[in-house]
Amino acid sequence: MNAIELHDIHRIFRTTTGTIRRHRKDVVALDGLSLEVPEGELFGLLGPNGAGKTTTIKILTTLLIPTSGTGMVLGFDVVREAKHIRKRIGFVFGGERGLYYRLSGADNLRYFAELYGVAPREIGPRVVELLGLVGLTDRADERVEGYSRGMKQRLHLARTLLHRPRVLFLDEPTIGLDPIGARELRKIVTDLHAEGTTIVLTTHYLFEADAMCQRIGVIDHGHLVALGTPSELKSNVTDLGVVELEVFGVDPAAIERLRGLDFVDSVVVEQRDLRQLVRVQTQLAEQAVAPLLAALRGSQIGRVAVREATLEDAYVRLVGRVE
Amino acid sequence: MIAALRVARAAAELQFREVAVSGFLLFGALVQPFFIGVMTMFMLRHRPDFDPVYVVVGAALSGLWSVLLFAGTSAISHERSLGTLELVVASPASFFVLYGGKIAGTLAFSLVSVVFSYAIGAWLFRYPITVADPVGFALSLLFALVALWATGMLFAPLGILWRAVGQFLGVLEYPIYSLSGFLFPVLLLPVWTLPVSYALPPYWAAVALHASARGEFDLPALARVWAVLLVTAVLLMLVSSRLFLAVLYRARRAGSLALT
Repeated sequence: MNAIELHDIHRIFRTTTGTIRRHRKDVVALDGLSLEVPEGELFGLLGPNGAGKTTTIKILTTLLIPTSGTGMVLGFDVVREAKHIRKRIGFVFGGERGLYYRLSGADNLRYFAELYGVAPREIGPRVVELLGLVGLTDRADERVEGYSRGMKQRLHLARTLLHRPRVLFLDEPTIGLDPIGARELRKIVTDLHAEGTTIVLTTHYLFEADAMCQRIGVIDHGHLVALGTPSELKSNVTDLGVVELEVFGVDPAAIERLRGLDFVDSVVVEQRDLRQLVRVQTQLAEQAVAPLLAALRGSQIGRVAVREATLEDAYVRLVGRVE
Repeated sequence: MIAALRVARAAAELQFREVAVSGFLLFGALVQPFFIGVMTMFMLRHRPDFDPVYVVVGAALSGLWSVLLFAGTSAISHERSLGTLELVVASPASFFVLYGGKIAGTLAFSLVSVVFSYAIGAWLFRYPITVADPVGFALSLLFALVALWATGMLFAPLGILWRAVGQFLGVLEYPIYSLSGFLFPVLLLPVWTLPVSYALPPYWAAVALHASARGEFDLPALARVWAVLLVTAVLLMLVSSRLFLAVLYRARRAGSLALT
């Protein structure tokens, strides 16, 4: 049985521009998205900002109504049978918001347990169990306003597990967490999946999707541009190698020169403090180093490395840009 | 039913804890009735028909209504700013029940206005504040809370649709004082406003509280006022329950639940 089915979903947001002469503008967030996720799968949803990931999650969690198309979660319609879905799903939106700051962590959980109809005699033990699971037992009675970002994220996860949901939606759950906090959260998520929970995960961290997800869907401009296992997606770039060049103060003209080389597939520049990481995808990685260095003449070059293509490279090839 | 009551109780408790530490709402519950009570005492105390109990009851009602209006209408924008509105809307709990609990929690807190208004008359001005019909008054106070609760529930859904609604609904504070006859009889108002007063449950709450405090009505007359109060309150509640469903559907369609 499919936990999730989306058929030809369109979602248009209407906005207005201008102060005196106001003009209506339609923004297409989802443009015919179709997708199926079987029960028990850990599914990753990737895409650049504005691609439609969060809109998809909000439709599936019954917070948004699609403009057209049909969506089902565990066999229930997302528009007409929202109440049935809400009992059976949990969701976490990334970030620190979504908690009552004047209440303690334990009180936040007790409140949401009531909203989700957890049996009164189960609330106490369940709250204790989940606080232990997310490592907040020692801070349970402190006000949430004093929690770190990572603690709030973990409390969100505990909150969404109170009623033992069959499907879990995690929208960038590790965003802003330190590496250890993110690793702990990923461990909890993979354990939940091992226990049989269907999980839909959106993330910007491609290594995270690669390591955790059984299948990945890549969304761009509101529709699915790729779907498959991480290995299948990576197989699209087996012909590619990647040359990474650490450059100090790279000249935009030099980047254009790189892009103009006929053996270069794509060039991505990432700012890292005072330096830039120039990532060049090419089918001739080893042989390309010398001409690439020549094209970057005048720039101060640091480290140069040649490596095989990763899921991130497959992603860059699919969506054609990087955040 | 029990599950719904548990949701309402949890929401009421949460709201009570939120409003009890809000300086602005403490102002509404204490300082505002203080000014209204003290000014009205000074304005009316030389009149031959002056009744300090009338002023105390009026000041208490004004405190109850102010806290309810500001806390009730801002509760949704507060949830929005915390980022919890989406979480509670997407929970299986009825939002109408949950919000009903929040309004009830607000009213429980605003009862300090009643105590404070009594203190102004009894301790500050040293008037003998005695209630002629204590049982009738206690029941009238209970029904007054029902009336105010129903009125608060009518305005609350608008906060789901419009983020700035709290600022606009604030202007209803004094019209409802006046139209409900908290501090002076509605017969002083133009005749055309009377149907509006009669449609408002708080008007019947003020009639019942003033009359029972002064011992003006016997039990059958008081019971008739309570009955009208309850009928108007139930009508408002029915309208608000439909309004809640409609605005939640509209907010899901417009995608406005997460906007801050």
